[in-house]
Amino acid sequence: MQCKDLELVLEQEGLEPLPEEARAHLAECRDCRNYIADLTSLVDAAKRLPSEITPPDRVWISLRAQLEAEGIIRTPAETVPAESASWWQSISAFFRNRVVASAMVGILIAAGAVFQIRSDRAAPALDPPKSVQTPPPHAIQEVPAGEFAGTAQALNDQEPVATGMILASTSPVDVSLRDNLKKVNEFIADCERHLKEQPQDELTREYLSAAYQQKAELLSAMIERGRSIN
Amino acid sequence: MCLRMMEMTPARLGGWTKRSIFPVLGAGLFLWSAAPARATGTGQSIEKQFKITGRPVVVIHNVANGRIEVKSWKNSEVDVVGTQSSNKVGFDIEQVGDRIDVTATILDAGAQPLELEANLQLTVPEETELQLKTETGLIYVEQVMGDMKLESYAGDVHLKEVSGYIIVKTTGGSLICAQCAGKLDFSSIGGNAQILQPQLNNVNLMTTTGNILFDGDFVRTGLYSMKSGKGLVEVRFSSTDSFDLKAQTATGVVDNQASAFLKPDSHGVKHIASKFTHGLFGTVGMGLAKVELSSYSGTIRIMKRD
Repeated sequence: MQCKDLELVLEQEGLEPLPEEARAHLAECRDCRNYIADLTSLVDAAKRLPSEITPPDRVWISLRAQLEAEGIIRTPAETVPAESASWWQSISAFFRNRVVASAMVGILIAAGAVFQIRSDRAAPALDPPKSVQTPPPHAIQEVPAGEFAGTAQALNDQEPVATGMILASTSPVDVSLRDNLKKVNEFIADCERHLKEQPQDELTREYLSAAYQQKAELLSAMIERGRSIN
Repeated sequence: MCLRMMEMTPARLGGWTKRSIFPVLGAGLFLWSAAPARATGTGQSIEKQFKITGRPVVVIHNVANGRIEVKSWKNSEVDVVGTQSSNKVGFDIEQVGDRIDVTATILDAGAQPLELEANLQLTVPEETELQLKTETGLIYVEQVMGDMKLESYAGDVHLKEVSGYIIVKTTGGSLICAQCAGKLDFSSIGGNAQILQPQLNNVNLMTTTGNILFDGDFVRTGLYSMKSGKGLVEVRFSSTDSFDLKAQTATGVVDNQASAFLKPDSHGVKHIASKFTHGLFGTVGMGLAKVELSSYSGTIRIMKRD
């Protein structure tokens, strides 16, 4: 066995147990022994690394936007009417804490995406699951129909939270963020109108998808800045 | 809501690990002992120099208002000069091997904007990688070769004679890239992009409402994509250029001021615009580079330079 053969064995089978031939080569080859020692120390170091990281909210929002843009997940545009005022008030009281609110929106988006993927997989064998897919109770704002409905809904839910977090700020950055959010919203509205008239227009669809992603990033930036300010 | 990191196995490592990286890793760990430096003060400046052994990576995060300026020299050192308008801003400067981290932090959240100004001036070896992030100030980089990621909310980004894989991301800030080479990715909502006299072989520009100007040569076999939602996309090429052109707009117009130079596609491919878009297809010269321009409602203008 040559050094290259040993590397191949390591690539295919890992560090142990090494075959007899490889062990025989190792006994004679100092370079390969050093190589194995280096690999072992790297693997040990890798095992000591933290096993989990928490991505920022924008990852989930962008992921959802991308999945919807590619038609992998779809969300029906139907919404349910708001329920009794007292119940809603308790929800809104809970959401007054901005950090909790933004975290909850992130969780809802992720949970929605997972639920949507699962229900899409199950769809051929089931009746249309409209009754199952109950949107969150605060989702009473009108959103555009079509493939971007879910994204639009999630972003519309998050927008008041995000803008509220930097509402009082007059710093140039926050002014710029608000200004650019307005621009993106206008652009999205324009594209949505155009797509209603010409649903087959792929170019406009591309621009709309990119605009939703930009909006998601913008809202995420606002929330992050709001957290650092408050 | 967690992403589990890929489990690292020797089998996976074996494919990409080369023995030569271990000494580098070891050196990096050894140099990790460098202690961070923090500076605060009223209207004062701090200067620190860091010796480096290879190609440095400079990471700057400026959460205060201010300008970041990076220029190069022949020395194997990174020189950092930070100036601040008040003691409500502080600098954390740290060396880890050949990586230099500079962070301007706000020490008093109740400070007025004028008190939160922090400018950074760096002089780095010509071959340096950069990761710069700022909020409102200008990012200026001159004569640096290396990959760079530059992010800004409201600040502009000016690049002069830089090369490498250049990523620029802004919210409202504009980009001016003069005599840049390599690969450029620019994305923005409201920012403009001006690419002047480039030697770029791969360009991706995307802005929602800003304008795009590309004034220079298209490198043969280069790929160029320029998109603006509502803004103007203008390309000025020279008569010696060689590229295939595809220009499309959903509701805008294509203003072809170079029809004398733009021939039908010479490669036998018949392009047909979507019935929902206004399109223009053609070839200049041999059609060696590929140029794609698009807009939603903005104008696309193609013209030849004098």
